[in-house]
Amino acid sequence: MTQKQRKQAGNLIFYLGNTIIALIFVSPLIWMIAASLKPEAEIFKGLNTLATFVPSNASFGNYREVFERINMWKFIFNSIFYVMIIIVMDLLVNSLCGYALAKFEFKGKDALLTLVISLMVFPAEAIMLPMYREMADLGWINTWAALIVPFIAKCFSIYMFRQFFLDIPNDLLEAAKIDGCGPIKTFFTVVMPISGTVYATILILDFVAHWNDFMWPLLVVTGEEKRTIQLAIQTFFGSKPINYGPIMASLTISAIPMLLMFIFLQKYYVEGIASTGIKG
Amino acid sequence: MHVSVDKKSERKAAYIFILPAVVLLAAFLLYPALQTVRYAFTDYNIMRPDRIKFCGLNNFIELFQDKDFWIAVKNTLHFTVLVVPFQTVLALALALLISSRRKGVSIFRAAYFSPQVTSMVVVAILWTVLYNSNPSSGLLNALLVKLGMEPCGFLNDPKTAMNSIIFMSAWQGAGYQMMIFLAGLQGIPKDQYEAASIDGAGKWKSFLYVTLPGLKNVISYVIMITVIQAMKLFTQPYVMTKGGPQNATRTLVYYVYEQGFQKRNFGYACCVAAVFFVIVISLSIGMKKIIKAE
Amino acid sequence: MKRKVMAAVLAVMAVSGLCAGCGQTKERVNEAGESVITVWSPTDEPAIEEWWVEKIEQFNEEHKGSIHLQREAIVRADSYAYEDKINAAITSNDLPDILFVDGPTVSVYAANEITLPIDDFFTQDDWDDFLDSSKQQNTYDGKIYAVGATESSVALYYNADMLHEAGIRIPTSKEDAWTWSEFYDAAKKLTKDDVVGTNIIMDKGEGLPYVLEQFWISNGTDLISADGSQADGYINSPEGVEAAEFLNSLIQEGCANIDPIQKEFHNGRAATMLGGSWEVATLENDYPDLNWGVTYFPIADDGGVLTSPTGDWSASVTKNAQDLDAVKEVMNFLFSKDNVTTYAQAISKPPTRASSYDVLTEYNEYPRSLFKEQLMETGHPRPRTPSYSVLSAEFSEAMLNIFTGVDAKEALDAAAAATDKDYNKYYAE
Repeated sequence: MTQKQRKQAGNLIFYLGNTIIALIFVSPLIWMIAASLKPEAEIFKGLNTLATFVPSNASFGNYREVFERINMWKFIFNSIFYVMIIIVMDLLVNSLCGYALAKFEFKGKDALLTLVISLMVFPAEAIMLPMYREMADLGWINTWAALIVPFIAKCFSIYMFRQFFLDIPNDLLEAAKIDGCGPIKTFFTVVMPISGTVYATILILDFVAHWNDFMWPLLVVTGEEKRTIQLAIQTFFGSKPINYGPIMASLTISAIPMLLMFIFLQKYYVEGIASTGIKG
Repeated sequence: MHVSVDKKSERKAAYIFILPAVVLLAAFLLYPALQTVRYAFTDYNIMRPDRIKFCGLNNFIELFQDKDFWIAVKNTLHFTVLVVPFQTVLALALALLISSRRKGVSIFRAAYFSPQVTSMVVVAILWTVLYNSNPSSGLLNALLVKLGMEPCGFLNDPKTAMNSIIFMSAWQGAGYQMMIFLAGLQGIPKDQYEAASIDGAGKWKSFLYVTLPGLKNVISYVIMITVIQAMKLFTQPYVMTKGGPQNATRTLVYYVYEQGFQKRNFGYACCVAAVFFVIVISLSIGMKKIIKAE
Repeated sequence: MKRKVMAAVLAVMAVSGLCAGCGQTKERVNEAGESVITVWSPTDEPAIEEWWVEKIEQFNEEHKGSIHLQREAIVRADSYAYEDKINAAITSNDLPDILFVDGPTVSVYAANEITLPIDDFFTQDDWDDFLDSSKQQNTYDGKIYAVGATESSVALYYNADMLHEAGIRIPTSKEDAWTWSEFYDAAKKLTKDDVVGTNIIMDKGEGLPYVLEQFWISNGTDLISADGSQADGYINSPEGVEAAEFLNSLIQEGCANIDPIQKEFHNGRAATMLGGSWEVATLENDYPDLNWGVTYFPIADDGGVLTSPTGDWSASVTKNAQDLDAVKEVMNFLFSKDNVTTYAQAISKPPTRASSYDVLTEYNEYPRSLFKEQLMETGHPRPRTPSYSVLSAEFSEAMLNIFTGVDAKEALDAAAAATDKDYNKYYAE
């Protein structure tokens, strides 16, 4: 085989293999989109055949119904609003903390690290009610604060930032110091710009997690004013008989921002710090 | 290893850096967590917040005699021990598959991540069809029958239910760890691979001697959060099996929810949570020791 | 460091303790001096949402200057989410004045003094007009704690083509409803390669006690004693075990799926279905090609009790209500003859007032007449016990265990023990 043939064969295997695996992963998403375009009676017809992935009699009727029945734009906006605030604060607060844990020596460092790891494991289901009581005591029920403030500091993020910052070569930080940068300036001008991938990763993982929040918004928010998109989707499960058409349409709508965010952040995965070769 | 200039200003900076996170963690995680531990010593029924009585160690005594609790411990460990290696390796494999710079990888990347953005409602509907124990309705069983094998109960057989959940969770969750691995792979400098290939290392060798060491911190993070997420398994049993059949998929966190919210024994649920807390903390301290020892 | 962490924690606790006093209290009187009455009810389909808007506007117009009615639509999802929301509101004393709850949970809230008796909210004439099935479900310890506008029932839907082809008898009156043996034979006969004989609700949740309790009742027992204090000797009585074994035989013989795929009956993949009254509208609207019919709920062999499920959401008054006169006014408005009728019409469910059936004449015609007949003559509400949440969860779990191979007696014994334990821990005198 010539070099070229080998390369072509490699390409073929790469694309074929990835396509097959990708189909296994993406099929539910495709089914959801197909279902959202079908009339109610078609959705569960022939579920165990391949035809179920093809929208027959496709129409946007379900989408029209979603927007007619509920104020979907408002709920999408609500979700984007509070999730974005959480994420911006999360990226800032937790990366600072993770950086300190990775690169500074200070008293109580080990204790803090242990605390961060310990709190990671506490199940949300067990904390939810005490946390709700705390919100009620603070008078935060039905406010944005209840949706946002408790979720800014996140042990998962702190720990992940720490692990990634550990790999930043100390020479680089030394150099900044010699140039007269204080720790804060070093962080914002040296560390942050080369850590795009970590920030992008936490951003997308957090976005997905909070976008799908259901239980907590249900408890702390009443009424339409601050209703989130997930709460809005659940309104279609309200009464029997459940119509799955609008549900699939609203779930598809809800998936779009997550996918957009994902695609938008792709560039951080193509041009990471790999090409800059800063690793010592 | 560490930057060795002016320890004092570094310490000051460190406290400024950690202050916001520490304050928020203390207020909204540590404080409610301690409350939960406090309620573990009470007979708190959700319906009666004004009639909470301290009941000493009663909940703990009951817990240690509670068969369902021990089954939940066993199930949680079963899930964790199997899903962690499976999902971690799957995620790493996916990340390596698409770390190449070929055209169109971003599409595959999105595809592997897509179970994360697909609602559990949809996932549950489709996996019920896939796993259905009746060969006329279930895809996998139709396949088994065609191959001349006995149909399998999957979620409806206590022997296979947890493994079915494991398989499904790994499929659904791998995209999460894949993203973290991808971020880690970006951090490995290209020239190390070039150096390896000049030394005549093949793909496998450069994976062993460049990729794996380069991902050391990332792998330890991924394993750790996968363990923690696995210990907290809740959604899949809640949606697919309600902890059954015959307790086969009742996990600790599911048990916390079931006791605390559904059956309203909040004090008892907090007790389960507190014991769970102790179990996982000892595990994670053990793990930290192992990681440090390396 | 440990000490510092503790100090920080204590500081936080102290701060939140201080704030405890400054929490917002619910707005009870507005600027116009009107008494504000808040209703929580589940989010519902558009026709009902419109009903609320229209009725609230009308009420507020009529009571300008004295009462202001407002409703907050709570996302229901499965009913557990709604209950979790109520649980949270109970802990912070943030309950609305009027709270909609699912039928069998009325006793739970009543027993915990979260809701108040409302016997004197309506005149005797009004109470006489409400169906017994609805009043029974909403009664706890001899007092009425809730009132609802709509009812529900379950009957046996069948695929007419399949039954004709198999030559199976279709009952024409409730007295000659299928017996269990007939039901079993039919299901067996109708089971084919890709069609199951029947679909018994298997949502692993509230649907199970709602539908399957009837098999216990028909066999002369129930899930729990009439006063709701003891499950042992009822759910696991010989008659109960027999009922469970009958249902299990349907599963084991392959006549019904443990995990039914969605809309099995509607798509011709199940020949019969124990389905709710709400399915009529779905079948009429979305499946016009299906040749279906509906008949009475099956009864136990040898003179089983005629029975059918009932129950729907209803409104109760919470302990956090302050202006009870205003609340009474609201309740009388919401559940007046006219409004019960229009509400039931909007949601196409059977109304709870006998007089409404004079207006809603569609209930005189098959298939709706069958549900009306079952409601008025054979309806049995779900158990009324403060331990209902435990009983319901335990019953579902026991059935799933039986269907996957556990001995029926053993599984039901466990359910009885867990239910009685809860009752004795919190409610026994």
